[in-house]
Amino acid sequence: MISSPCSTSAAGRKKPRTYFRSPPESKWRSGSQQLIYRRRLFDALRVARSGGGRSAISSRDIKNAADSALALTAQAQTRWSRALLFGCCSRRKVLLKAAGKIRRRRPPRPARKFGGNASPEPNPMLKGKKVTDRLCVLSRIVPGCQKLSAPCLLEEAADYVAALELQVKTMRALADALCASSLSSPSRESAPSTAGDCDEFAS
Amino acid sequence: MALSSGAGSGNSGTYTPEITETLRFEEEIQSLMGVNLIPPGFECSPPVNAGSSSFTALLGLQPNQAVELLHELDPAPSPAIAAGASFRPFGCSPTFPSNAPLIERATRLSVFATADGSPEGSSAIPSNSEGDHSPYPKSEPPDSDSKPRRPAKRKEADKSSKAKSLTKKGKCFPGDDDGDSLANLDADKLPYVHVRARRGQATDSHSLAERARREKINARMKLLQELVPGCSKISGTALVLDEIINHVQSLQRQVEILSMRLAAVNPRIDFTGLDNLFTAECGRAGPGPGWTDGVIRRNQQQHHHHHYEHQQPIWHVDHQQQQQQQETAGWERDETPLHHHVFISGSSSGSPPGTSLFGCDSAASALPLSSQLKSEI
Repeated sequence: MISSPCSTSAAGRKKPRTYFRSPPESKWRSGSQQLIYRRRLFDALRVARSGGGRSAISSRDIKNAADSALALTAQAQTRWSRALLFGCCSRRKVLLKAAGKIRRRRPPRPARKFGGNASPEPNPMLKGKKVTDRLCVLSRIVPGCQKLSAPCLLEEAADYVAALELQVKTMRALADALCASSLSSPSRESAPSTAGDCDEFAS
Repeated sequence: MALSSGAGSGNSGTYTPEITETLRFEEEIQSLMGVNLIPPGFECSPPVNAGSSSFTALLGLQPNQAVELLHELDPAPSPAIAAGASFRPFGCSPTFPSNAPLIERATRLSVFATADGSPEGSSAIPSNSEGDHSPYPKSEPPDSDSKPRRPAKRKEADKSSKAKSLTKKGKCFPGDDDGDSLANLDADKLPYVHVRARRGQATDSHSLAERARREKINARMKLLQELVPGCSKISGTALVLDEIINHVQSLQRQVEILSMRLAAVNPRIDFTGLDNLFTAECGRAGPGPGWTDGVIRRNQQQHHHHHYEHQQPIWHVDHQQQQQQQETAGWERDETPLHHHVFISGSSSGSPPGTSLFGCDSAASALPLSSQLKSEI
């Protein structure tokens, strides 16, 4: 992933740098990613299950587990994934910065002084107030994207959207499967009311 | 500088168009050498886009040769051609008194740079751009029109088109000294002109950088628009962003609802053994007609077998995928796939909290997590 700044060597000078920037759709919609996420989700749920075996499992635990699984599947290459993973940790900032260094291996280019606008406001001259507001809102929604420049923010948002779609699809399939299995095995049902529960959510 | 003086001295009536172009050429080279900023889409010096260091190296390689070339533009055609021949890529035609040789030279230069920078295809993207999609012109055809076209055009080695555009440039150049009109042409995203339009802005590095940033942002916006359903028809950044925000919020809400569902369903199901089944199930298009029977069968088998989860780290996904494929292949046969796995019971999986990747509540688990992340990445 390290781009070699050496001058006249031609082929693939830029390719290694941009490899990790695959478009979010192709990355998240590939079947392998779905499998990976599914596996991670299961493991997470299992861990959460066993961890909370004594107490009831809250929906928040499941949500956190699912989010962590998603962030892991993203391999922590994006800001939101790192924020999701390390959000609970006390040493979050240190870890985030460290993870940031892992990702950015390419040397900062001297042209950055013109191209990179790192301020949170993208370009108030060019974009109206509305757009700036929307971008602020978006930065609040996508985890870990406060104070990002507009192109970075948009990129993170794209990745986040793709990942969320995968998450919803997987969780829905899992919930449907579980509900149906619980319905189809009447011996397991402790009470018919619980089956009604599942139906409620299924509708 | 000597360049301009040399160029000016050789000014003759027939050579006016070339001289103006030469002057532009010189200016650009000067500005680029001085500024060391790589303006995007700078076709006449495309290696610039591939990396500032590379371009300066290129310049450093041939600055005197460039000067020579420009000098020899004036006195006589043939020495220019001879000097041009000394360039690696330059094989100029001997017919000088027309625009053609200069154009050819420029095209050779850009071709040469294309040979350098073509694998990246990041012709028009500034080197500081954070991973634009231009390196993947084939994989992202729906991406911004400009970007796939530029590398595609360069890879086609469209010398004639470049010649055409250069003549276009030559014609419209005296009229437009500011970059803006040409920048507007650029905004049209015509395949020929918008790349060449950069030339007019060469000296105005700020506007170039502005344009680069704007294009970056527009590219990302387009990507988002494709991702979010129903955004392609909407025009206007604010409305599109509205849609995107709504979409993200709805997805997050769905995740919450689904997690509530799972929490409600969970206590009733013995979770450990069923996961493989559902993994297998989700691997298909959807729940099949007969899989519920399989569920019941599996539930029954749980009583007979102890499923022990093999405590493999989650990083070894390939192994798991193979397992899943084995599952999907043989899940109808109840016995066989189960023997492929070795499962540790759920209770024991909780014992090594260090390896559990979701123990974010403890700092101790966070450390191995981060180390695992680092090792994986």
